[in-house]
Amino acid sequence: MFKDLDPILHSQLRLSIVSTLMTVEEANFNFIKETTQATSGNISIQIKKLHEAGYINVKKSFKNNYPNTSLSITDKGREAFENYVNDLKKYIQPGQ
Amino acid sequence: MAKSKLTPEESLLLISKTIEETKRRFEENGHIIILWGVITFTVFFSQYIFSLTGLYRKFDIIWTTVLFPLGAIYTVIYFRKNIKKNMPRTLLTRVIQTMGWAMGMNLLILGFLFRQQLGDAMAPVFIILLALSMIVTGASIKFKPLFIGGLLLNIIGFCTFFLDRDYHGFSLMLGAVIGLIIPGILLNKARRKENV
Repeated sequence: MFKDLDPILHSQLRLSIVSTLMTVEEANFNFIKETTQATSGNISIQIKKLHEAGYINVKKSFKNNYPNTSLSITDKGREAFENYVNDLKKYIQPGQ
Repeated sequence: MAKSKLTPEESLLLISKTIEETKRRFEENGHIIILWGVITFTVFFSQYIFSLTGLYRKFDIIWTTVLFPLGAIYTVIYFRKNIKKNMPRTLLTRVIQTMGWAMGMNLLILGFLFRQQLGDAMAPVFIILLALSMIVTGASIKFKPLFIGGLLLNIIGFCTFFLDRDYHGFSLMLGAVIGLIIPGILLNKARRKENV
C-alpha cells in the first residue's frame, strides 16, 4: 500500500531513532535506548541497517573505561527523512 | 517497539512524539538561572547590610570570593551530571552553554582583574553583559519572560550609568530579581507543567 515510502525509514524503531537524531547533533546509544524504550539488541540491529544505508554515522569510543557509541545523522539521512515526511504528507493530503 | 509497519498517520505521530520527547528531555528548567539570580541578590544585599552595620570591609570579600566560586562549582557539577545522564549534544545547548561559560569567565576576569580600570562602569557593564546572555537564551529557547527579563535587565544596566556608585548595588539586586529570579521561576514552572 505504501510502496513509495522509504523502506529503511518506514519501520517504527528505525523511524524513532532517525527522528531522535534529527533533533540533536549527536546522541549516545543509551539516550536512544531511553527514548525509544526498545531493547539493546533490537536497537543495535536497526542502527546497523541505518548505518549500512548511509543514514547515520556511528562512532565507537571509550568513556570512563566503558564503551560509548555515539550516533549522528548524515546529510543523506537528513534528506531521506525530509523526503519521507513529504511523502507521508502526500498520502495524508493527496491534493497537495 | 514491536510493530514495524505503520500507516502514514502513525508515522507522522511517531515522528512528532519522538521529537517532542527528545526536546523535552534536554530543555533548560531555569534551575541555574535562579541560582545565579539568588547568588547575585544575596551578595549585593549582604554588602548593603554590611555597609549599614559598618562591617563592609570585613565581610565583603568573603561573600564575593566564596559565593560566586561556589556557584561556579555547583554549575560545573550540574552540567557534568547532565552529561552523565546521557544527554545528547544539540546546537542550541552548545550555543547556550558556550555563551554561559564565555560570559561567566569574562565577568569573573572583569570583576577580579579590571575592577580599577572599570571604576564606576563596573556594575553597568556587568548588568549589560548578563542581560545579553539572558536575551540570547530567552530568544533561543523561545521563552518570552526570559527574553523580556533580559531586555529589562539591559535597560537597568544603561540606567545604572546615571546613578551614583552607592546605588549600583541596588541596580544589581533589582536586575537579579527582574532579569534572573522571576524569569527563572517562570521557566521552571512552565517546564514542570509541560512534564505533568
